[in-house]
Amino acid sequence: MKTSATTFLCLEDKYIPAHQLAASLVDYSVSRGVNKHKLLRGTRIFSEDLKSDKKISLGQLLQLLSNVRTQTPGYDCAFQIGRRLFPSNYGAVSNALLHSRDFAQALKILNILRMQICPFFDASSYQTKQRQYLLINPALGCHTQVQFLSEIYCSALISATKLLFGHRIPMYFSFPFQQPKYIQEYQENIGYRLSFSQPMFSISFEKKWLTTPCLQRSDGLRSYAIKQARLQNLPKQGFLQAVRHAITKHRQASLNNIATQFSISPATFKRKLKLHNTHFKQLQDELGKQQATYLLQIQQFSNEQSAHLMQFNDIPNFRRSVKRWTGLTPSQLRLVE
Amino acid sequence: MNLSLLARHPTLFSVLCGSLAVSSSLSLGLGQLKNLSDISWLDVLGEGSLGLLSIVWVFFILISRPPGRVTSALVIGLCCFLFSASLDFFDEFMAYQEVAKGLSMFESIPAAIGMLIMSYALYQWHQEQLVLNQQLRNREHGLRQHDQIDFITKLYGADYMRGQIHNKLAAPPHSDFSVVMLDIDNFDQFNRQFGHAEGDRLLRQISELIVMNLRSSDLACRYAGDRFVLLLPNTGKTLALELAEQVRQAIFHLAYKPHQHPQAIYHNLTFAIDSVRPGDTTDNIINRVNQSLDASKQLLYPSEAAL
Repeated sequence: MKTSATTFLCLEDKYIPAHQLAASLVDYSVSRGVNKHKLLRGTRIFSEDLKSDKKISLGQLLQLLSNVRTQTPGYDCAFQIGRRLFPSNYGAVSNALLHSRDFAQALKILNILRMQICPFFDASSYQTKQRQYLLINPALGCHTQVQFLSEIYCSALISATKLLFGHRIPMYFSFPFQQPKYIQEYQENIGYRLSFSQPMFSISFEKKWLTTPCLQRSDGLRSYAIKQARLQNLPKQGFLQAVRHAITKHRQASLNNIATQFSISPATFKRKLKLHNTHFKQLQDELGKQQATYLLQIQQFSNEQSAHLMQFNDIPNFRRSVKRWTGLTPSQLRLVE
Repeated sequence: MNLSLLARHPTLFSVLCGSLAVSSSLSLGLGQLKNLSDISWLDVLGEGSLGLLSIVWVFFILISRPPGRVTSALVIGLCCFLFSASLDFFDEFMAYQEVAKGLSMFESIPAAIGMLIMSYALYQWHQEQLVLNQQLRNREHGLRQHDQIDFITKLYGADYMRGQIHNKLAAPPHSDFSVVMLDIDNFDQFNRQFGHAEGDRLLRQISELIVMNLRSSDLACRYAGDRFVLLLPNTGKTLALELAEQVRQAIFHLAYKPHQHPQAIYHNLTFAIDSVRPGDTTDNIINRVNQSLDASKQLLYPSEAAL
């Protein structure tokens, strides 16, 4: 399948209304005594924009986030922002989520409207017999801020589930970074089921929670809200997500092949990747690491099965690659829990 | 840098400008410029930096302290010193005639007077600090780390409490102490109903109340979110329970009035207590108290509990 160049969003595309996340970020930091002008420095956002319908790009939002992170006092900055993220002023998106039938449907809606409310991450879902896994990837080049962004969106997820279902849903969080010393904020805002320094960023919970009913379920209001939200007519994926998708489909594809699929020249493709703070090989390796960990550790598949699913022709080559990606051999990886 | 205090010191600011103006007009008026070759640039550098740094000191005093006796004495003392330093500085460029020779004799006297005034001011500052320490009772234990103070409640944060518990554990084994964790009930709901600004104000008032209800040896810190932690030295579980219950009663009777809301809102809190056990580490104690607090929260408010 050919992916045309217009079906994904890049860092520099201006499509996010400034009165949403940007305005809440500024409001929060100002309430913590930060100077507004200092906060907006280097973001090319003006204070009037925050009250208007003006659109900003994800790149600008990332710059603002980095200013917020460095200038706001206290460890709880990301968590407090997360708690205020939903329903906030997301309008139709929030309504669609609030009126969904159950947790499963809310996740589905979140996936459809993700670019509007959670553009920095994309999730792929996997299931085992008992558990539902959400594997989270940065959808854009925000590698340096993954921790800050995860803190924001994980506490937003927890506080949103409380609002939607009236109680918390016990979720397990695996973070790819080290345990920070302000662990109390994680416990207070995200919970106690945490593990750090994991090979990948994932959220998991027991499948039985998928049927948790929403308190404000309303099928009519929901479908209307989804229709409203879809008027924005945005591409459904970020640039890196689109590339990842292409690599997963054809594991052995080269940079040139994928550039052709995107109908851009290899040089432009490389430049775009660089703009997103990554390069082709790195993406390939990250994906390999995630898939191998998922297949071997979570699903406990055999080497042959996993190699086949990952489009490897010979087992020794597969073993070597797994060792390079994760530092562990397939059999060692299967024993880790 | 917050410059808001600067505007409240018009008099002291004119004293600063006055001392500079008098010294410069005295030396410029009475002397004549030296030849360039006669100027010792090393002296210029040395004396110039003395003057400049005392101006910087005055500036920092003016932006850090509200008006008052101690502030005035500090600034006036420094200005006297600055007067001498600037005379010294101008000396390097000016040659004086016979009549004005007295000026260089006289120039060191203001510095001496300034030092005397500053010594008096420092003694007063010491007295003031003792009073302020009294005011900080229950908020601080022996160690001052202003960068660990929480923005909302002005209590210290979890790091400070960990440090204090660590110190207590390192002290001789007979020092027994208890740790209390408090969590406001339904705080999320309050935030949603009245907004986060009201939530912050409520946290501030509750922290005041907690501090008021403690003994002089106790310490209160903000742990995270709406969770507070108390350190009660030389206190067993029974006494700790009594103290925590008193705090709970106090919060329970706080009639909080949200902005533009006719009715007062009352709050309750849940707490958990644990005392030190042999071989404990800081994290052990904190985890234990947290767990028992979460267990009781889950029992009382299943929807709010952290899972």
